[in-house]
Amino acid sequence: MDEVLRVRDLHKRFGRGPSAVQANAGVDLDVDAGQVVGLLGHNGAGKSTLVNQVVGLLRPDSGTITLAGVDAVADPDAARRLASVQAQANVPITGLTPRRAVELVGRIRGGRTADVRARTEHLIAALDLGPWANTPAEKVSGGIARLTAFAMTAVVPGRLVVLDEPTNDVDPVRRRLLWSQIRALADDGAAVLLVTHNVREAERVVDHLAVLDQGTVLAAGTPAELTAARSGHLSLEVDLIPGRQPHWPEGSTVVDRGHLRATTTVPAAQAAAAVQWAGDEQSAGRIERYALAPTSLEDVYVDLVATTEEHAA
Amino acid sequence: MSTATLAPVATAQRPLAVRLADSWAQTGLLIQWQLRRSAQSLPLLVLVQILLSVATIAGYGLLVGHPDHLAGLYLATGAPTVALITVGLVMTPQAVSQSRTEGSLDWLRTLPVPRGLFLVADLTVWTLIALPGLVLGIIAGAIRFDADLAPTWWLVPAALIVSLTSAAVGYAMASMLAPTVAQLMSQVLVFVVLLFTPISFPADRMPDWAQNLHAWLPLEPMAQVIRAGLAPHDFTVPGRSWIVLGVWCLAAVVGAGSALRKRG
Repeated sequence: MDEVLRVRDLHKRFGRGPSAVQANAGVDLDVDAGQVVGLLGHNGAGKSTLVNQVVGLLRPDSGTITLAGVDAVADPDAARRLASVQAQANVPITGLTPRRAVELVGRIRGGRTADVRARTEHLIAALDLGPWANTPAEKVSGGIARLTAFAMTAVVPGRLVVLDEPTNDVDPVRRRLLWSQIRALADDGAAVLLVTHNVREAERVVDHLAVLDQGTVLAAGTPAELTAARSGHLSLEVDLIPGRQPHWPEGSTVVDRGHLRATTTVPAAQAAAAVQWAGDEQSAGRIERYALAPTSLEDVYVDLVATTEEHAA
Repeated sequence: MSTATLAPVATAQRPLAVRLADSWAQTGLLIQWQLRRSAQSLPLLVLVQILLSVATIAGYGLLVGHPDHLAGLYLATGAPTVALITVGLVMTPQAVSQSRTEGSLDWLRTLPVPRGLFLVADLTVWTLIALPGLVLGIIAGAIRFDADLAPTWWLVPAALIVSLTSAAVGYAMASMLAPTVAQLMSQVLVFVVLLFTPISFPADRMPDWAQNLHAWLPLEPMAQVIRAGLAPHDFTVPGRSWIVLGVWCLAAVVGAGSALRKRG
């Protein structure tokens, strides 16, 4: 496949001495044309630092970034012509309407007026922004502003499209529309790097994933590859009742997820027994609710990150 | 389904003419972006500039009463100079600091726009804002101090150089210093420009050390250029001043440009 972004052994440290923070500690990452690659990791994992180096706002300490064959570290101007970025923070567009902002950015990005206008209309319709398209930006909600920022990025997409938490603040209905537009960007040939915490929703859209923690890639692969180690297993999620202890089945490993939630892994063959157990516990008033689900990417992600934190501690 | 058009790939090999045409179009669009974004505060900013410029004339009048011909010329030409410099040294850093704080500067920097164009677009916007105040200040000064001004053709490029230099210094200052420090600096500079710079009075009224200092700063040459451009029969610009101003202009533009290109 056509390789667009190639990051190798990227290091970036902020500050000096004992208070220095190693934001990226040897990151490797590839995004091909037509692919949506999810970059998962919690706050401070080094995601935004990575993105800012790709578009030349930060200079790496060492390592290489190649963008469609261009050395992005040596030629940040060329890198910016090849990439479009939706930043994590919303772009202030007070004084403009969503439609005007999207059109202006499209033309600044070098799109032809007629193309930009058509593409803007397409995005406004596809994201259901019509009712807000001509409203002054200071009067639109955070979710609409977020969708506008996405449209500003997608109006004339680069070979690489970087989306940093694009679904934040977006309502559930428009969120689905947004995911399908993100997928469409890749289907039209762009390489999409999707930075997110929202593991559950991203799982359905991404082709490939990289989990970033403390500046390094902990795991990378397709969603199926990452969950493969747990195939044949189901996840039993239980909502606990304050002050009550369920009688867990013998030999089960229970993970406390906090906020009165706990999960345990069940072999698929014993699903019926697990449901029987959970039903009994619920009748006995020892658990509130339960759900049996295939092992999700979120489970894998939480385990991966939790393991390193235990090591760190 | 959708009509996404991917950005062109072979950008480095584009001919110069194409790149120039693109830059021209992008500058226009950036100016449009900045003007529309500040559409609400724009009339107020222009008004403040006009008031500042005209009020300086009125205030000078109160301070000195009825000055002689030469002093009148200094005051009449000094007020618009102060207004012009204030835009660059005070309002530009405040605007840049604000856009840094609200995060729009970092976003703008991710756009595929040559760094210098941001500077050109911003300077154009600020010069446009300063223009009405400048013109009205000149008229007010001519009337109040009965000054026989005879603006020359080169006043326009001279005013542009003054505006460019002061705005570029302000830009560089705001990009390099922390936003709060930059705001404070700009407040201090208002006083320096208004009262302690030979703009509205002859330099020989200042102590020697201050005269020597101003010989190397761009402010006195700025005043000389505007003064001589407005009243060419009474004043000339020393060659040295052109050089000092030119060097500052170049250094400030290079400094502001490299501040925009800086990668942390």
